[in-house]
Amino acid sequence: MSSSVSTQLLTNLKAGGCDFFVSVPCKLLAGQIQLLEKDSDICYLPVTREEEGFGLCAGASLAGRLPCILMQDSGLGNSINAIKSLIQFFQLPVVMLMSYRGSPGEPVPAQVPMGVLVPELLKLLQIPAIHCHQPADLAEIRPLVDHARVAESAVAILIDFQLMEGEI
Amino acid sequence: MNRYELLETLVPVLEDALVVCNIGIPSQELHAISDRDNHFYMLGSMGLCSSIGLGLALTTQKRVVALEGDGAVLMNLGTLATIGNRAPDNLILLIIDNGSYGSTGDQATYTSGETSLAAVARGAGSQKVIECPGEETAGVLADCLTARRAAVIVSRVAAGNRPLPVVPLHPIVLRERFRQSIRK
Repeated sequence: MSSSVSTQLLTNLKAGGCDFFVSVPCKLLAGQIQLLEKDSDICYLPVTREEEGFGLCAGASLAGRLPCILMQDSGLGNSINAIKSLIQFFQLPVVMLMSYRGSPGEPVPAQVPMGVLVPELLKLLQIPAIHCHQPADLAEIRPLVDHARVAESAVAILIDFQLMEGEI
Repeated sequence: MNRYELLETLVPVLEDALVVCNIGIPSQELHAISDRDNHFYMLGSMGLCSSIGLGLALTTQKRVVALEGDGAVLMNLGTLATIGNRAPDNLILLIIDNGSYGSTGDQATYTSGETSLAAVARGAGSQKVIECPGEETAGVLADCLTARRAAVIVSRVAAGNRPLPVVPLHPIVLRERFRQSIRK
């Protein structure tokens, strides 16, 4: 592979038009966060909690930007009201780039209870999602980002532990 | 002076800014006093007014005023650190501090006790923090808008609400007219 998974991820997001990024850190997303810190083409800032991040994304989306929030999957639990009563209520496109921490191989036991719920929770929240297990799956990102804009919707990209293993 | 009386004095100063207004009775009162395209009334998501304001300020050249409440800021204190570190010059956070959860039955907030949001904002990194009585707030806000420098204003007013209906605007109508006012 000529470039890292982190680089490919960001390249796909930016190619889709994402130009405003916020992050709540996750070890699996550290590579992407490092790249965003150095990227002068986009606006990037860390936030203190996922809910706050959705607030910032809403503001940027109102101004016509396409925002992306980087977060751990467990942060979905902190975000549900913001997603429903702000992002979806006003139909604001937002891309959620989420680490997926529930699958076999996950070393931290406390990640599992929330992690196993996340795919079903995304369905329940009516958030279109893709789950990237291997590098070839990254090709699905661009159409999903386009869909966020067309459908004026939040969309989610789940990134598997195994996919990022080589970069942490 | 209560929140409604304060908002009456602020409306003329806010005409050229993008205004994000706290959920519930604050939005109902602002809407009743003057309903303008440059007002974004939060219809849900309590606590996120400051954050929406910061996201807007980072992505537009226009001046942005986030009209917050003490109870709502207490729900999202982390955003004061983000604002303290990353607020651009066009963001003014105006916290209407009446020491009360006005929309839910006027329960006391901790700002009616020992908590100073001005001190929290300073500690969180904001360089320009002004605490003033409601009566002086329109003048302070006008000065801050002219100075074009990030500021946090904590405006102390008495508790109390006007009985008003829910803001009767469809979210998509509100979104679209607000977007148009950004482009103007």
